[in-house]
Amino acid sequence: MIPGIGAFTRDTLWCFSQVKGTMETGTTEADIISTVEFNHTGELLATGDKGGRVVIFQREQESKNQVHRRGEYNVYSTFQSHEPEFDYLKSLEIEEKINKIRWLPQQNAAYFLLSTNDKTVKLWKVSERDKRPEGYNLKDEEGRLRDPATITTLRVPVLRPMDLMVEATPRRVFANAHTYHINSISVNSDYETYMSADDLRINLWNFEITNQSFNIVDIKPANMEELTEVITAAEFHPHHCNTFVYSSSKGTIRLCDMRASALCDRHTKFFEEPEDPSNRSFFSEIISSISDVKFSHSGRYIMTRDYLTVKVWDLNMENRPIETYQVHDYLRSKLCSLYENDCIFDKFECVWNGSDSVIMTGSYNNFFRMFDRNTKRDVTLEASRENSKPRAILKPRKVCVGGKRRKDEISVDSLDFSKKILHTAWHPSENIIAVAATNNLYIFQDKVN
Amino acid sequence: MECALDAQSLISISLRKIHSSRTQRGGIKLHKNLLVSYVLRNARQLYLSERYAELYRRQQQQQQQQPPHHQHQHLAYAAPGMPASAADFGPLQLGGGGDAEAREPVARHQLHQLHQLHQLHLQQQLHQHQHPAPRGCAAAAAGAPAGGAGALSELPGCAALQPPHGAPHRGQPLEPLQPGPAPLPLPPPAPAALCQRDPRASAACSAPSAPPGAAPQAATAASPPASPAPASSPGFYRGAYPAPSDFGVHCSSQTTVLDLDTHVVTTVENGYLHQDCCASAHCPCCGQGAPGPGLASAAGCKRKYYPGQEEEDNDDEDAGDLGAEPPGGVPFAPCKRARFEDFCPDSSPDASNISNLISIFGSGFSGLVSRQPDSSEQPPPLNGQLCAKQALASLGAWTRAIVAF
Repeated sequence: MIPGIGAFTRDTLWCFSQVKGTMETGTTEADIISTVEFNHTGELLATGDKGGRVVIFQREQESKNQVHRRGEYNVYSTFQSHEPEFDYLKSLEIEEKINKIRWLPQQNAAYFLLSTNDKTVKLWKVSERDKRPEGYNLKDEEGRLRDPATITTLRVPVLRPMDLMVEATPRRVFANAHTYHINSISVNSDYETYMSADDLRINLWNFEITNQSFNIVDIKPANMEELTEVITAAEFHPHHCNTFVYSSSKGTIRLCDMRASALCDRHTKFFEEPEDPSNRSFFSEIISSISDVKFSHSGRYIMTRDYLTVKVWDLNMENRPIETYQVHDYLRSKLCSLYENDCIFDKFECVWNGSDSVIMTGSYNNFFRMFDRNTKRDVTLEASRENSKPRAILKPRKVCVGGKRRKDEISVDSLDFSKKILHTAWHPSENIIAVAATNNLYIFQDKVN
Repeated sequence: MECALDAQSLISISLRKIHSSRTQRGGIKLHKNLLVSYVLRNARQLYLSERYAELYRRQQQQQQQQPPHHQHQHLAYAAPGMPASAADFGPLQLGGGGDAEAREPVARHQLHQLHQLHQLHLQQQLHQHQHPAPRGCAAAAAGAPAGGAGALSELPGCAALQPPHGAPHRGQPLEPLQPGPAPLPLPPPAPAALCQRDPRASAACSAPSAPPGAAPQAATAASPPASPAPASSPGFYRGAYPAPSDFGVHCSSQTTVLDLDTHVVTTVENGYLHQDCCASAHCPCCGQGAPGPGLASAAGCKRKYYPGQEEEDNDDEDAGDLGAEPPGGVPFAPCKRARFEDFCPDSSPDASNISNLISIFGSGFSGLVSRQPDSSEQPPPLNGQLCAKQALASLGAWTRAIVAF
């Protein structure tokens, strides 16, 4: 039984909900989505792109009239977060591409998020304005200054309703703390600090202080010739504000406790699975590099993504993962060509659903995969314009690895490796997923009966 | 794993990637280049071991034609089943064509040298076991060869290796050497097996220390041990990782490192590329000059093999002496530098690209950021005639990763 098919299954049926972005085939590189993130309530969905822009979607209130349509996401705010920069000292151009967006929990009417490019982290405040003061004394209605000599009376400006305007303002800029490229940011559960990780170092920041940060991990060797691994991702524990993990290009994960020492170079736990020697190849190091690490919502597990697999680790067991899921093992024999066309360096992300029962990650040909940890069933779905009718149920896809290709299956050689799904997000409490396919953002929901 | 590319193509592709990363937006990506350097190292291991296998195979062939007294030393190291499969590797290009027979004596001689080297490796390995500490050039992981068909056994080299039976250490790269089900005699070492560098070798020996079991470090220079089976073989690749930056020792170039944090430029003086290393104890490099014949001591003089050598040896007077080598003694050949200026007769079509890359490597990876003025010791600037083969031969050029960073 294929999960997702059939009326009598309890498996989730996924339906198309929306797609954002142009349909044109010629994509400008700046429109390529580089990060997707729901906020803590799921009301807002933020995307960052290679052009340094952030687009925030807000879920509309569900109306009683249209019970079949769950709230749709509409554009709420768009702003330019980062601009291209040039480091004159090192003659390096700094890309404006948004590497990560992380939301802060909402504490007042405004929303706050962190966005980062390769070098600089910014804290943005997104707030609504639906009133505007009118009746200035020194300015007229168009804003032109009035000649004070002509003012004969004084009045008190009043606030009048106006069309809703959402404005984003940069509240903090955390710059000049990273020599290497920032790959991760993570907000601490204390909501006062966050960390930023680059290839070799991890820094701890306080939201209020921009001119200082603490370095908590430094794996840069004394001699760069001895470099063997880099940090690829880092995340704070969801509940314990002293604990964080970081993954390496060697396929290892280290858990650190900030209470142990100021510099967490020595890990508290070290997660590594012995390599299977029969799988050794030229590219073993590349495919074992971890591209993403995520704590489960419960904080008990971590999930890691390397090129071909997703693994779930129990924090209490360091010597091997408790679950390993093959994402696209049929690529194992294609590593040479994937190396030639650079696809082997793609960094796929992975996400948990709200209850930590299902994990999701992307693949090529605009496929993405979901693995149910309880039933051990998995499904491959596709984000494509062909399946873009509202509430159309997504049909599971299958890649045929050899032999006779059945109808509706796609052979490995027909996969389009330029269409890759690197970034996905799952609503914190509902079955709503956002899937970034190059310059389009697809939103899928489970079928509402 | 099916791989349509041979080691050489992989090397040129990898070099091209590194080269093009210089011009990409956003600066050089450390992570990606690190991964590419791993591929480079793996490909180079395979390439070198393939060449060794070919050499061995030829030597075996020749032995069958030679009178027995020439074979006494070599047969002792004949690993059963190994050389026959070397032919499975496919055509290997040794030194650019030429008369194979003319090179036979050379090959045999070199093999003999390698056996000597191997002896020393074993000694060092014992030493390593007792003194697990420090520096590079650990003895060969003379692990039993991989059991897979066609798999070459591990080729010891100047590498930070793990004991063949050792379990992978925590925190270290896991490269379990596959102990074969039946222990086979230790195979002769890799052609590019390096000078024995004693762990206590001085700091002048370029790249700094790393504990033997430490994570594979600089993808540098010469051969790390590998037990590379041909790509098509199921037991494709087993082997320990090369030693770190020890390889930089035997290059007659300097490595310049620009630390982006402190903006300090450091120049690390590397030793000479020796053909013969002195006896075990100390690294003869580091400017001590060419060892004299007297150094062919008990441990024997080791003769380093590198591909460009064969052509030289054909013209070398010593070639004539190879047929009558005294047992246990080894003819000494003076140190030779890496022959950057040697042309590869069948240079690959993308030689110019690769030569650009070699010019980068000529001054270490730091060529990506800054170029140091060539010292008198450095080989002349490389021109367009170089090909990947020469790149492989230039042991010192393979500093790992991005010293530019």
